[in-house]
Amino acid sequence: MPIDLSSPSGAVLALLPELLLSLWALVVLLYVAWRHRDGYDMRTAGALSLLGYIFAVAATGWLAWRGAHAEGLSIMIALDGFRFASDALLLWIAGAVTILSVRWLIRQGILAPEYYPLLMLATVGMMLLAGSADLITLFLGLEVMSISVYILAGFDRTRRASAEAALKYFLIGAFASGFLLYGIALTYGATGQFNFELIGAQFAATPPTLMAKLGMGLILIGFAFKVAAVPFHAWAPDVYEGAPTPITAFMATGVKAAAFFALARVLAEVFPAMVALWRPVLFGLAIVTMLVGNLTALSQTSMKRMLAYSSIAHAGYLMLALWAHSDEGTAAVLVYLLAYSITTVAAFGILASIERAGARTVLLTDLEGLFAVRPFASMGLSICMLSLLGFPGTFGFIGKWLLLSAALHQGQAVLPIVAMVGSAISIGYYLPVVLAMTLKPTRTRQAHQTIRFPRPARIAVAICIFAIMLFGVWPNVVLNFASQKVVQLRQAELPTGPR
Amino acid sequence: MLLGPSLALSAVLFVLGVAGVLIRRNAIVVFMCVELMLNAVNLSFVALARLHGVSGQIMVFFVMTVAAAEAAVGLAIILAIFRHTQSVDLANINLLKG
Repeated sequence: MPIDLSSPSGAVLALLPELLLSLWALVVLLYVAWRHRDGYDMRTAGALSLLGYIFAVAATGWLAWRGAHAEGLSIMIALDGFRFASDALLLWIAGAVTILSVRWLIRQGILAPEYYPLLMLATVGMMLLAGSADLITLFLGLEVMSISVYILAGFDRTRRASAEAALKYFLIGAFASGFLLYGIALTYGATGQFNFELIGAQFAATPPTLMAKLGMGLILIGFAFKVAAVPFHAWAPDVYEGAPTPITAFMATGVKAAAFFALARVLAEVFPAMVALWRPVLFGLAIVTMLVGNLTALSQTSMKRMLAYSSIAHAGYLMLALWAHSDEGTAAVLVYLLAYSITTVAAFGILASIERAGARTVLLTDLEGLFAVRPFASMGLSICMLSLLGFPGTFGFIGKWLLLSAALHQGQAVLPIVAMVGSAISIGYYLPVVLAMTLKPTRTRQAHQTIRFPRPARIAVAICIFAIMLFGVWPNVVLNFASQKVVQLRQAELPTGPR
Repeated sequence: MLLGPSLALSAVLFVLGVAGVLIRRNAIVVFMCVELMLNAVNLSFVALARLHGVSGQIMVFFVMTVAAAEAAVGLAIILAIFRHTQSVDLANINLLKG
């Protein structure tokens, strides 16, 4: 179904998932303006917002099923399989985080149902960011997402840690947006265009000027802040620890995934002609991110901080797929982010249930002897740790294997070796979690009696764990889906010759 | 055309903003420096729009809108912090150790 994006009706059709979700967010906002007193209102708002995600998934699925593609130039928003796949992933994350939040918020005494509309608006921003075909949409999507997430990070404002997390995230996030925006300005200055295709064509025709190179560098810095790549990662552990736990899960998966989707698109469509310039940058960033992320995670005692450093390391692994700059790399980005987000959401879901009301985090020592009291929760968390580690038989292994082979097929051996070393280091912090739960005795008789694992969250986590196991041993469905031609980004021909 | 001097001024302002964010320790001043960065970029857009047409000027409106939204949220967050610490000095914001 060709859609003419220059006509208003075409634009509405192309933006249907985002529009439906924004409209529904306003409806929910209107509802909570009247009903915001007790736990019942919180639950209703959560259920209503889930409906919004279902609408948006249906609209995305409909567009994908009709084979929507742009007639002529894609103006402002992309219409390709990659956008639909990334939208589906982001909506899935938002829905799962909503389910995990419902009872958790009530238990923590956060009775402010504005949480759900904000989560929906953040998702709209993520979808616009991941699907942008124009630097203006890219910037607006990024800001809609970021501003909503700043508020969500500080949502538990009566706790000092949450307010501090919000302030740090806000200042660093706004700082990073400044870099990205300056990069956009210089790219615009060099080409006179905002559209990805037109800029890409211009760079392919004429050798890039100094202005264009600076613009690309600044855009890369802006994205490096957003995905928390070393050396732009210092904010991540603090923010992840201070934010409410479901929001930490949202930031670690949704925000990171959206930024990676957008970065993949920008590198493939805007700067393919400058591949010789950005590949060394990604190479260096990937190596330090993998090593620093994994090494720093070793010394953490707080689970949320440990997972924050582990998410930094995973950003490093993902850069391998971007470095590859091939169809295989695009498929690897999709599969790895799916595996990573399923696992991380499940892990944070279990941690949220273990967390005591009012506590900032879960310490590694809090998990001791969990297996004896809560065998299923502890088994689930063990499976998550193994999947993050990339243990064979879990979905994480499939994702990592795709990443490594994507880089290897482009004639790169150093990055995969560093990634293997990084994974080997990560055994040092994932395995102690499993050992603490199974081998160590419980500290006191009252230990683990405060765990509350409400049924909706339990079902969501169980589905995630099941998916990790299923796709770990039977990955064909996911692999076949991701290797289709329709979900790939347009890749420009690489300059031939020795690399 | 004042393209060269405008771009140079914009770069200087941007660097001043970056330096301010990195050096100053008061949350509100840091926030003002971030706004300085955004407005420095706006100057670039306006200058470049003389060269490339109106789309650069349209971008400026978007940036101004975003900056206003950021100011609303940012000041609210700074207020929330002030209620806890009675200060907006970043040196006092040390509960979470980096």
